[in-house]
Amino acid sequence: MPRFLHTADWQMGRSYSRFDTEDGAALVEARFEAIEKLAQLANEHQCDAVLVAGDVFDAQTVSDRTIRRVFNATRGFAGPWVMLPGNHDAALVESVWTRATRLGAVPDNVHLALEPGVITLQSQGLALLCAPLTQRHTYGDLTEAFNGYDTSGGLIRVGLAHGSVQGLLSDDIDATNPIAPDRTDASRLDYLALGDWHGTKQINDRTWYSGTPEPERFRNNEAGFALVVNVTGPGDKPEVTPIATGRFQWHQWRETLAVASDLDQLLQRLDALPEATVLDLRLEGAITLAGEDQLLGALSVAEARFRSIRCDRSGLQLEPTDDDIAELKADGYVGEVISELRSQQEGDRGEPARDALAILAGLLKGRDQEASQ
Amino acid sequence: MKLQRLRVEQLRQFRKPFVLDDLQPGLNLVHGPNESGKSTLVRAIRAAFFERYRSTAVDDLRPWGDSAAAPTIELDFEHQGKRWRLTKSFLQRKRCDLTVGTDIYSEDDAEEKLAELLGYQYPKRGVSKAEHWGIPGLLWVEQGTGQDLEQSVEHAGDHLKSALNSLVGEVASSGGDEVMEVVRAQRDTLLTGGGKPRGDYLQLDKDRAQYQQDIAELNERIVKYQEQVDRLGKLTQEFDRTETERPWEEAQRQLENTRERYQQVERLEQQQNQEKSTLAQLQQNHRLLQQNKEHLEGLSKQLAARNKELNNAERALNLAEQQTPAIANRLMEARTAYELADKQVKLARLLEARGRLEQDLRRLEQQQQALNQNLSKAREYQQQVDQARQQARENRIDGAEVKRLKATEHQLNEETIRSRTIATRLSWQLEPGASLSLNHDPLEGEGEKQLLEESSLVIPGVGTLGITPGGEELASTRRKLATLEQTFNEQLKALGVDSVAQAEHRLSAFETAERALTHAEELLKSVAPGGIDPLLAQQSEAGRELQTAKNQLQATPEPDQGESVPGLAEADAAFTRAGASLDKAESDERKHQAELLTRKQARDNASAEWQRLADEEQSPERQQQLRQLSDDLASIEKQTADLEASLASRERDIREARPDLLRQDIERYQNTINNLRQTQEARGRELRDIKVRLEAWGAEGLEEQLNEKQAEFEQCTRRYQELHRRAQALDLLLTLLTEKRQALTRRLQAPLQKHLNHYLSVLFPQATLEVDEQLRPGTFTRGSELGQMTELSFGAREQMGLISRLAYADLLREAGRPTLVILDDTLVHSDNERLEDMKRILFDAASRHQILLFTCHPEKWQDLGVPPLDIQALKEGVVGETMG
Repeated sequence: MPRFLHTADWQMGRSYSRFDTEDGAALVEARFEAIEKLAQLANEHQCDAVLVAGDVFDAQTVSDRTIRRVFNATRGFAGPWVMLPGNHDAALVESVWTRATRLGAVPDNVHLALEPGVITLQSQGLALLCAPLTQRHTYGDLTEAFNGYDTSGGLIRVGLAHGSVQGLLSDDIDATNPIAPDRTDASRLDYLALGDWHGTKQINDRTWYSGTPEPERFRNNEAGFALVVNVTGPGDKPEVTPIATGRFQWHQWRETLAVASDLDQLLQRLDALPEATVLDLRLEGAITLAGEDQLLGALSVAEARFRSIRCDRSGLQLEPTDDDIAELKADGYVGEVISELRSQQEGDRGEPARDALAILAGLLKGRDQEASQ
Repeated sequence: MKLQRLRVEQLRQFRKPFVLDDLQPGLNLVHGPNESGKSTLVRAIRAAFFERYRSTAVDDLRPWGDSAAAPTIELDFEHQGKRWRLTKSFLQRKRCDLTVGTDIYSEDDAEEKLAELLGYQYPKRGVSKAEHWGIPGLLWVEQGTGQDLEQSVEHAGDHLKSALNSLVGEVASSGGDEVMEVVRAQRDTLLTGGGKPRGDYLQLDKDRAQYQQDIAELNERIVKYQEQVDRLGKLTQEFDRTETERPWEEAQRQLENTRERYQQVERLEQQQNQEKSTLAQLQQNHRLLQQNKEHLEGLSKQLAARNKELNNAERALNLAEQQTPAIANRLMEARTAYELADKQVKLARLLEARGRLEQDLRRLEQQQQALNQNLSKAREYQQQVDQARQQARENRIDGAEVKRLKATEHQLNEETIRSRTIATRLSWQLEPGASLSLNHDPLEGEGEKQLLEESSLVIPGVGTLGITPGGEELASTRRKLATLEQTFNEQLKALGVDSVAQAEHRLSAFETAERALTHAEELLKSVAPGGIDPLLAQQSEAGRELQTAKNQLQATPEPDQGESVPGLAEADAAFTRAGASLDKAESDERKHQAELLTRKQARDNASAEWQRLADEEQSPERQQQLRQLSDDLASIEKQTADLEASLASRERDIREARPDLLRQDIERYQNTINNLRQTQEARGRELRDIKVRLEAWGAEGLEEQLNEKQAEFEQCTRRYQELHRRAQALDLLLTLLTEKRQALTRRLQAPLQKHLNHYLSVLFPQATLEVDEQLRPGTFTRGSELGQMTELSFGAREQMGLISRLAYADLLREAGRPTLVILDDTLVHSDNERLEDMKRILFDAASRHQILLFTCHPEKWQDLGVPPLDIQALKEGVVGETMG
């Protein structure tokens, strides 16, 4: 009655260009921690093995340090790990895997499925039918070979593959590395552990994408899980349990501010987010000077609280109210400039006009504060 | 604002109260000489407004030496229908009171009210300076500063603008300029004046480019890495396949097989070569034997040939011998002919010599005869010469002397005749025998004598008669006669003659002799030019030659007259011909002898040869040799035929085996093996190289580096874009602020320009003066002149300054502001014409503004159309008032 942990798409060695250096480093670090978390989960759920369905590494030429750290992070689980090369880390004649082997970084309990075939974990009762990617680009169904792999009767047949199940996933997934949707039936598999799709996704009773254990983009909101798979016996329907593994939640909000209550709502939602949040915020619509003050204050708080927050306000127009203007005490030609900028916001050069208005408002306010002091 | 009354007390030289009253709403001309207090009044007005009443820095107001003084100023003026009275005391009694209509202000309130009214500031401490004066600083012109407009306008600055705001119906921004400066400063940290990035902004742009380059390099390296990985995969596959198939082993087998076949062919070729060499030997042998045989067989033919040669030689000899007598004959004949010719020549020569001698002889005889004749003639002529010479010598007389003698004689005769005519003629006829003696000369007979001298005639017996010829002339004639007679006698004596006739006779004889001599000498010279002696020598010489010639002729044999002798030339020619013929004959003879000898020798040789061959031909050994040779030849020919058959057969075998192709095959197989092995080794090497390279490159973590670089690049780009946006925003903001501010300024400029043009048209009808953004008169143009106002002459600047101030005043008046104009001794640098224009301008301005004009030159301003106020007179008036 074997039980194993299904994970994939670790993408180790990836950097996060959209974030500040510090935030990017933390996110990278979180991915190493995710591996440790997987090891811990494997122990907690008494798993017999951990299967990684491809893309352990984000690229072939990651640094030696990254390679060593990845294997070091697996130490928490002493049982067998089986790692399958995916499209990012295909088992080419010279690959991240050959380098890892050369470095002596691969622990004995980590099995590298560098060639198509069956890896038998006899004591665990598992026969792993592996379809590693060995070319940079593959256009045929590598799992087709599973049909011809015989395994001894008592073992659970588990397929391990990396690619896109044909006809099921949206078109923006590469058409390469295709996998037939009926592979489990055709190859008499008890379970087919897939990688490549970064969100957790069930294809059929026996076929799952585990998704990446730590989210690394704003799409695929089902990322951040690993699957504990329990197969009672050959031919039995597997029992699959998604376990949350992700540390950071990635959110991408696109909001339009029209009335004052929109801003209040937004600020409440911000407040409700946990600290381990990576937020990408884009605001459109219009805001008063007072509203912007409020928004900037809230964003400043959020910056300190969240892992990362980015707010794009270039689509958000500053619409000072008459009170705003009065408060600025902008008389004479400066007042004219303010009205000019307000109207220019609407035009082609809206962004600079908006920025200019903000700068001018800031200067005038600062002047007032000085004066009042 | 109209100032109506000014009162000062305890202020500088006005220790007593002084009142300037009845000031007119328009132009007021206040004059007084230097030191009269004109400037003090101006100072008093300024102090009343500008100086804080409690200021301690106004000591200059105190009368000299009066420390207890409280300088006091009292001003009454009207503004906007209200009466204003200001009383301000300084120093000892600090006080300020202001009454406006019914309102009363005092101290600081009063001062603030005034400052607001006129638009100026008070100094924080100390004395009020130009920068505090605001609008009054512009309208109240101190002595000698009328031209310095710029500073005043600047100090009036905001007061002026805010004063003018109501005019243009807009609000100038309070503090807008500061905001603009901040915006400009912030913009300038990001952008250059020309709008190019600078500072961080520029650096970020550069960093981006650097990142892009780094990324491109990394990408390139990654592509290379991947290519190498692909190459490694392909190579590994090829290497392994080749290691399994080992294609070079099959090639090796082929090679060995071919080598075996090639060795067989080589053996055949060796045999072939051996047999070919045997054949060659046989052929050589055959050739030699054949030669021997031919040699032996050749003897008989040679003998026949020799026989023929012998016969030929014999024939030739006979032929030569037959010619011998003819040749000898010809030689003989030639010799005889030669000898005859020789004899003839000698004879001809002898005849020739004799002829010549005979000729000589005849010539010499003729010569001798001629000489003899000449000699006899010469002697005859010599004799004639000698005779003539003798004649000449005997009759030698000088012709000239004879002539002179004749002349003397002639004179004497003439004188004698003359004397006779004048002389005393004494004639006598004596009785024969009677004698008388005249002058001792006896006179006898008859006679006559002319007496020229005192003569004495002695008559014997009788006595003596003295006769004395008379006359003066007689005496001189007698003296002349005597002289002539003496000369005549002397000349005769000198010539050695007795008379003239004798002299002439002798002269004639002499000349005849001379002529004869010359003639004879010429004759002599014609026959004997050298004299007689050479002739004699020639004669003897000719005689000797003649003798010699005769001897020679006698010695020459006389030829036989019977023989016919040819001429010498002919004989010579014949002799030469004979000689040539002889030479030819002798030469022919010698050649013939040589020919004979040669032919004889040839005949003997031929005969000997023939004999030898004839002997040899007949010998038995030779017959034996010939038979042997024939046998040997037959044997060799058979062997040769066998060998050739064998060679041809083997040659065919070799050809069919194609050894050239076999050799090429061997080379081909060898190359194939080498290539296959080398290719495989090269693969092995490349595999190792690529592995090593990939290990090194892999360790660099290129893609991870690329990821990081891209992250940095994006961060850099984000920062850049932020700055870019900020730069654009600031630039836009600055542009807008500048534009709006300029627009505002332009709105203020227009009315000012209008007023300025009004005055300018009086002063310089064709000129323009533009007002700049700061509301300052700037660019001045007049005809083709173009420049800043500050570049004009001092006088012009002062005039421009004044009209500008008046223009401001007009503008301020329109804005409802007070416009008191105070001019302290202004326009001192203007010429009369300009001053005239300025007076018109002032008069015009005075219809709108109150103008106080202080001057110490009242005569310059007397045509201003207003009564002047004389400070001096007023002072006295004050005194009077006080006294009254």
